[in-house]
Amino acid sequence: MEKSPMTDKFDITLNGIRLQCESGETILDVAKRDGTYIPTLCHDPRLDPAGACRSCLVEIDGQRRLQPACAFKVTPDLNIHSESARVRKHRKILMSLYMADHGAPLETEHNGDQLTRMARDCGPLLALNPVEAPRAARPAEDNPYFTFDPSLCILCARCTRYCDEVEAVNAITLSERGASTTIATAGQRTLMDTSCELCGGCVDTCPTGALMEKKPAKLNQVNPRKVRTTCNYCGVGCQMDLNVVDDKVIKVSSPEPGTTLNDGNLCVKGRFAYDFIHHQDRLTSPMIRGTDGQLHEATWAEAIETAARGLLDVKERHGADSLGFISSSRCTGEENYMMQKLARAAFGTNNCHQCAAT
Amino acid sequence: MQQYSATRGQILKLLEAEGDTSQESIKRVSEATGVPEADVYGTARFYDLIVRPGPRVCQGLSCLMAGTEELCEELTDAGISFHRVSCLGQCDRAPVALDGQMTLTHCGPKGGISPDSSELAMNLAGAEDLNYPALALARKNGAEWVAEQLESSGLQGRGGAGFPAHFKWNAVRKESGPTKYVICNADEAEPGTFKDRELMSRRPHLVIEGLAIAAFCIDATDIYLYVRGEFPGPGHSLEQAIKEAAQHLGDFNFHMVHGHGAYICGEETALIESIEGKRGMPRLKPPYPTQEGLFGKPTLMNNVETLACLHSVLCRGGDWFAGLGKTEPGTKLYCISGHVQSPGVYELPLGVSLDELVQAAGGYVGNPMAFSPGGASSGFLPISERDRPLDFRGLPEIGSMLGSAGAVVINDTVDMAWAARWQTVFFEDETCGQCAPCRIGVRYVRRALDQFIEDGDSSHLDHLNDVAWEMAEGSICGLGMTAALPARSAMQHFPQGFSRDGEESHDG
Repeated sequence: MEKSPMTDKFDITLNGIRLQCESGETILDVAKRDGTYIPTLCHDPRLDPAGACRSCLVEIDGQRRLQPACAFKVTPDLNIHSESARVRKHRKILMSLYMADHGAPLETEHNGDQLTRMARDCGPLLALNPVEAPRAARPAEDNPYFTFDPSLCILCARCTRYCDEVEAVNAITLSERGASTTIATAGQRTLMDTSCELCGGCVDTCPTGALMEKKPAKLNQVNPRKVRTTCNYCGVGCQMDLNVVDDKVIKVSSPEPGTTLNDGNLCVKGRFAYDFIHHQDRLTSPMIRGTDGQLHEATWAEAIETAARGLLDVKERHGADSLGFISSSRCTGEENYMMQKLARAAFGTNNCHQCAAT
Repeated sequence: MQQYSATRGQILKLLEAEGDTSQESIKRVSEATGVPEADVYGTARFYDLIVRPGPRVCQGLSCLMAGTEELCEELTDAGISFHRVSCLGQCDRAPVALDGQMTLTHCGPKGGISPDSSELAMNLAGAEDLNYPALALARKNGAEWVAEQLESSGLQGRGGAGFPAHFKWNAVRKESGPTKYVICNADEAEPGTFKDRELMSRRPHLVIEGLAIAAFCIDATDIYLYVRGEFPGPGHSLEQAIKEAAQHLGDFNFHMVHGHGAYICGEETALIESIEGKRGMPRLKPPYPTQEGLFGKPTLMNNVETLACLHSVLCRGGDWFAGLGKTEPGTKLYCISGHVQSPGVYELPLGVSLDELVQAAGGYVGNPMAFSPGGASSGFLPISERDRPLDFRGLPEIGSMLGSAGAVVINDTVDMAWAARWQTVFFEDETCGQCAPCRIGVRYVRRALDQFIEDGDSSHLDHLNDVAWEMAEGSICGLGMTAALPARSAMQHFPQGFSRDGEESHDG
């Protein structure tokens, strides 16, 4: 039987090792599966390959030019070298150029900064004078959650491509050209005055720290413990990582794309609205309003009993259909099921609704 | 993300009509096309004619040598405001200034051309043939015959790379699918080059006939002409020619697209992006435009001059064309400017030497020291190479190239560090900024040259060769690959100009 092109399997050689792969895969896909490290900066598996940062260039027999592993599709019997002298020389000078364009010294590592780590991996770099590129910032940016420091930007365009390809929000764009190229909004307005939804996906995907959250800036250098949890702002069930230091949540970060249902994407609530966790006004136990008109701390058993008694009283006096049950959009499917069960089986009414249903 | 919006291609035209990139203009264009405001803004801000409309003075090397600075002073004294901009493709009448409508307001004497002769493939001084006999022959003998003639002519792509033209044609011919496109690359902007400008102005029918033959051959209906925005006159000549020859062109749709001030859009994939209404950033190759070009369809793109050769290739035969050349097939439009008596466009057998070219241009001015054989991208060669054939295969052997054949002669009154600096300024102004080796590298090279020129300390240039190596290896497109060549070749061939220590620098 003829093989379908979709499942066409063949071998390639990477650094002298034969590896099996499928048509449609990139060199980077195959290298990752094999555990071979090829550096990348502009790559994000959620985005179409851009091949713009040039850090993943590899040497391929028969190809005159170095080719980007993130974009180059494998074909049978490719012979690829990701650690040849030519590739290493390329990486070293490329990183030297990046550091000449980058406002931060090599010793400083920003939170989530892949660039300086990668530059340090290349050994001693060329001591190039700073090029002082005239990249502009947005003059009046006043969004509450993140900042953009153009001096740390390498124009990998992950943020703009994420905003376009994943969120389809298109609030930011590459603007100007040459050394002046920068990340801009229409007319350089503040993000608050654009289509931006403040999801922060651009911050999460930024590999250099040019886009930075405002809140945890002080805790930049620490290595927080990551606690995987489910966002409880709505029923979608996005997975997220609480970054915890001294039992305090200092930040929310995205799980690695491709590992969770939400593919590392979060919305403004999930990513930034975590202040309530340690807020002094947060209720930490049930409260019952007493006959004195004041709220008094109670146990869950007391609270549930009080609520149940009140509801049953209403049913007794006015009938079951005088009751209505509305569940929050923050409830999961299972919780909503429980709510309607409670309404129908325990109280005998069909008056149940979920606020996200409208 | 591949987005082929039907209206996206209109945004640059609409923006140019708006005349600025103000919030109101951006909003109107966004609403008219459905393209998000940020995308409209980012695209607009890429193009110099949209960002900085208005009068401009050329600061290309030929103009600088002919007196750009004096011209700028004159304009300033007259109270005229202007932008100093990249080469305007008028090197044969340097130094030049254009007004806001891209009309020449200041220039030197008009450039020369070769005299009328039947032994020239394009013959700029010749008369146009409105009967389109080559197209008639193509229709009569079929696409296979055209391909055979093209192959036997040995015609190499005249845009700069010099690959045999029939490779590309055959690659597009064998692509299946109902929709294919033909594009004429008339975005001529390589400093020192102005041959396509003359060809479009003087022999527009040669170009249109060539396009029709190409479209017939690959079975395409839609033909795009992307004409440099600073060339409204030549663009108008092409439009006139399409009208005049309408009776031969009934089965084709011609689309005129005007550039908006970005040299990089001469790179074929950047040009395609620009037609699609995007920032002119080159695509990764593969896939090549012959496979996935305009709107993702197989696309045949040729330079103006390549297309203009088809008329005589078909009418007089591939073998006749091949026999015209000296070291390689055909005649070639050579541009010559700088320190020569009669700058201009001269059609000569492919493979003439610099001396032969300059002879056609009336001889040298002063004592020649250096030359660029094919625009800024070809770097500099010492005048000792004056006897070497100017052809596609030979020049790469000495680290240069024929490119667009825009030769510039430099005499010994010029400081080579100064000349290299200005060629590098051009690339710094015109790099798209997409990839780091080019964006950062060319700025590094320009600043290193500036620092050397300022204090004469040659240690500023210590890393220049390494950076140039990386630009050649790591850049996405040809601009970055060659942008360091002016500096590197000047240092290689004129080391004495780069070893001053503390000595006063001077300019040309």
